[in-house]
Amino acid sequence: MIRSARRLPGPEPLPSRTGGPLHAFLRRVGLGLVAGSVAVSANADPLAHCRVLEIASPDAARDCFRGHLADPSPALRAEAAWALGDIQTANAAFRRAAQASPGDATVRVRWGELFLSTYQVADAENLFSEAVALDADNVAAKLGLARVALGRFEARAKQIVDGVLAENPDNIEAQLLFARLALEVGDIEAARQSLRAPLAAEDILLRLEAMALAAALDHMLGSVPSAWETKALEIHPGYGELFETVSHFYIITRRYREAIAQLERAVEIDPELWSAHATLGINLLRVNRFDEGRRTLAKAHDGDPYNVEVVNTLRLLDSLDGWDALADDQVILRIHPDEAGALSGYVRTLVADAVKTVGERYGFVPDYPVVVELYPRHQDFAVRTSGLPGIGVLGVAFGDVVLMDSPSARSFDEGFDWASALWHEVAHVVTLGATDNLVSRWFSEGVSVVEEWQTGPSRLQAVDAAVGPARYRAVPLAVVEAHREAEMLPVAVLDEGFIRPRHPGQVMVSYNQAGLLCEFIAQAHGQAALARILDAYRDGKDTVDALEAALQIPHGAVDEAFSAYLDERFAGVDPAAFEAAMQEAVDAVSTGAWAVAADAARRAIASYPNAIGESSPYPLLAQAEMHQGNRTAAVDALMRYWRAGGRSPRALARLADGLADAQRPGDALAVHRSLALTTPLSIDRRLRLGDDLLAFGKPREALQEYLAAKSLKPHDTADAHYRLARAYHRLNESEDARRHVLLALEIAPRFRDALSLLLEINR
Amino acid sequence: MTRRALHVVTMLAAGAGIVAILGRADEIEAPPDNVPTEPGRSHARVLVVTGLGGEPDFARAFALQGDACARHAEAAGATVTLLKAEAANREAIRNAIGTIARESAETDAFVVQLIGHGTFDGEHYRFNVPGPDPTALELAAWLKTVTAKRQLAVIATSASGAAQEPLRREGRAVITATRHGRERNASLFGGFWAEALDASAADLDKDERISADEAFRFAERAVASYYEDQQRIATEHPRLEGDAQPFILARTAPEETLEPASVHLASRVDELTAAIDALRADRRVLTDDDYFEKLQELLLELAQVDQELRAKRQDLPTSDLVAPFQEGDTR
Repeated sequence: MIRSARRLPGPEPLPSRTGGPLHAFLRRVGLGLVAGSVAVSANADPLAHCRVLEIASPDAARDCFRGHLADPSPALRAEAAWALGDIQTANAAFRRAAQASPGDATVRVRWGELFLSTYQVADAENLFSEAVALDADNVAAKLGLARVALGRFEARAKQIVDGVLAENPDNIEAQLLFARLALEVGDIEAARQSLRAPLAAEDILLRLEAMALAAALDHMLGSVPSAWETKALEIHPGYGELFETVSHFYIITRRYREAIAQLERAVEIDPELWSAHATLGINLLRVNRFDEGRRTLAKAHDGDPYNVEVVNTLRLLDSLDGWDALADDQVILRIHPDEAGALSGYVRTLVADAVKTVGERYGFVPDYPVVVELYPRHQDFAVRTSGLPGIGVLGVAFGDVVLMDSPSARSFDEGFDWASALWHEVAHVVTLGATDNLVSRWFSEGVSVVEEWQTGPSRLQAVDAAVGPARYRAVPLAVVEAHREAEMLPVAVLDEGFIRPRHPGQVMVSYNQAGLLCEFIAQAHGQAALARILDAYRDGKDTVDALEAALQIPHGAVDEAFSAYLDERFAGVDPAAFEAAMQEAVDAVSTGAWAVAADAARRAIASYPNAIGESSPYPLLAQAEMHQGNRTAAVDALMRYWRAGGRSPRALARLADGLADAQRPGDALAVHRSLALTTPLSIDRRLRLGDDLLAFGKPREALQEYLAAKSLKPHDTADAHYRLARAYHRLNESEDARRHVLLALEIAPRFRDALSLLLEINR
Repeated sequence: MTRRALHVVTMLAAGAGIVAILGRADEIEAPPDNVPTEPGRSHARVLVVTGLGGEPDFARAFALQGDACARHAEAAGATVTLLKAEAANREAIRNAIGTIARESAETDAFVVQLIGHGTFDGEHYRFNVPGPDPTALELAAWLKTVTAKRQLAVIATSASGAAQEPLRREGRAVITATRHGRERNASLFGGFWAEALDASAADLDKDERISADEAFRFAERAVASYYEDQQRIATEHPRLEGDAQPFILARTAPEETLEPASVHLASRVDELTAAIDALRADRRVLTDDDYFEKLQELLLELAQVDQELRAKRQDLPTSDLVAPFQEGDTR
């Protein structure tokens, strides 16, 4: 067994830096490969005789390694110490080796591997880069860099591996990495081809690795149990990495329950495989098995205290001890107690609406509760999601478990539309549930995006007379440009745009492309076609087969028709003209040239209708119109913004005031609803909506708003009690009304409105 | 009935213990025989100074804040001196305080509000005005000449926490925008302070008047909420030392007049309010049921008396219990 991959506690941890998600798995793989490579390539590895003992006789292997702890070569001492789990000694010895042989690339590669094994990816990357600088042909260094990129889900991983294979087509390690990359994006045939030679490799460790990937390939095809499992276990009965490897592919395809089953097998046959314990713990949390997850993570931590993902997650779990867990038939909500009163009502309504609305559109309404966790600190959400801080997403769905930033995690000015984000995630719950998590990434994202646009709380409400692009939800201009520059990916490989984007903007483009593609399919083939595609995924088909089965046309034809659809959808959209007009409008506003600003904003709207992002012309137009005394035109501009899905709290507040001034109370109420939903932790906005609802004869809804506001501990407590009393009184719930009016008057006995209400209640 | 009598009666109806600001000096006339009078009645003098903005946006904001403070204080019955722009220099401030010192009595209340930027060099706090900046020590020296026993200094500037110590004096409450002199970033406190004077939510006891204590609590919370909402580290922590409750800086409703025939009602309001205060103090020794029963009894009578008072003023508010709109009412 590859004991050099194991980490036993050393006297002190290495300086800790973090890597990307799923690195624990990839680190293990990398070490396996390199250890194997050292073992076989070498003749160059003086410890090969020790390593081969690990499978049959671990004790003998340890004795063998100990025999090299006093070797004159610091590099050898480092290898021996590392194999024995003494990370600090290994690190110090590698440092000495590098100092003694500054031109030796191999020492740097091995030292980099040590860093990789201790979750310090950046240091590892530096050492691999130094090795390449010393020796441009060093394959191990290049593959080290490839593994770093692999762990970060960077597209350059494939570029590096392709480069190595071009020069060294028979390199087994590169073939294994190629197979892994192919398998990750579902290219089964390429993976199968690439595994042929490694499966016949002389070296046992490489062969085991190939068998694990071959077993994973079988699992991805649904061909289980895999014969490769039996073969691998015959060679090494304690080869837990076999099941850990399989679990990785279940995890990246969001089949967490299947991943858990594999990880349980991994730790069963190798109870000291701490990385598997860690991954198991994190995935138990993803399926809402909190107590088991916590226990498993604690065990992983006992075995490997350096795993930063485990440490972070355990710390997070400790911080969740005081949280509320509110459950009913439809939603299990984990939420910070300070936010529970204000958010639970909205979350329940949104989840119930989304499950019903989206579920009915796709023929699958989950009959199980959706678990929602809302994190006031983005970094906690990130740790809960991946074990590490610093992820760039707002929400994530693990089957029926949705994790999200709470509205308080982002400032009002960031315009975080949390309600739409929740709608998006619940749509994932539907598509994942409908397919037993077999849906492809792009299709699940596409459905979620298009449902945000068409049925979500910030959906486009196009006016009947809208023509051209005004009929559609606006997408970022970069998406329009990506289409026109033919940068969009064919549907068969669209998943790569999410999993291994080639540039930072590709993920955003891919999200929108997926949404547009679903929009196109629904328009061209009917809404039912999307449900048929889901059915095909549930039956185990891949994207190409699912599309062709559901649409009855070749997938290439889908790409062609989609491209033509986008030509028509984006016809008349002029990004350059839009940006020039926007700049002119912004400049004019800054100098108070309101007529010029209004004219430029109107031109921007003509160039790209419904633009509601950070750079939206509608609020500018409204501001310019208002300064020119055109209140009606200002309100109309903001109404268009709101109907297009714009949710800037400032713009909506101005709109609501304008509508109230214009004696349009019904519209004002609708906008106040949006405003309160967008900023649910704003006491003033919840109170204002409550007042509007009461004025519209909706005391039950008003009461919910007032209760939400009260839960946020408003400054004016007497007023909060008074409003609650009014709502209860309107509902003829006299005792609650009396209680709250007395509480109001206890604070402020001269509160005249409350005194009047007290008389009214007692009349 | 004379105007002074009206003020006295209104004061009794509005709340005991609030004596600092009741009206303009030139409005006070001799009380009639049949109205209770207060010996040594006080008057409020308010000095508002807006300092240099440095940038147009700050200058505009400070001017608006100063105007608001002055306007509200005047509406609450104080005599107000407002210094702003070029007029707000060191000499003008000293002179204004000197004038107030000469014109005010021990029983009067004096409020000085400084709005703008401040600095602290590690030794001295300075309020930024055109020309030489006055220090906190100089302000303290000038204020010494004011004989009014109740004084309030509001220093709504950056670094103003450094002015707390020099301005501390028995009978003087001091409000600063920052905890100490090292909080040097431009302060938001002044804006929220001005906002408090126009916010019914600041009137926590609903007596239709906003005290300096209420304004401070409103502004303090608003400052904290701002930084929290923006997810920024708070660079100012407002501070209040002393009793700011007696200083009424604004009203949420115009002062009401009272017919002589209603004086007994106003007196009853005071009695009932005092009884409620006493009941609240006894809450611990009562069961919840007993407490709220007695509270309701007192409040019902208070409500009835208040209704009678309002009826006499023919000033009944419209009921809010009717739904004026229907949801389908859209255009």
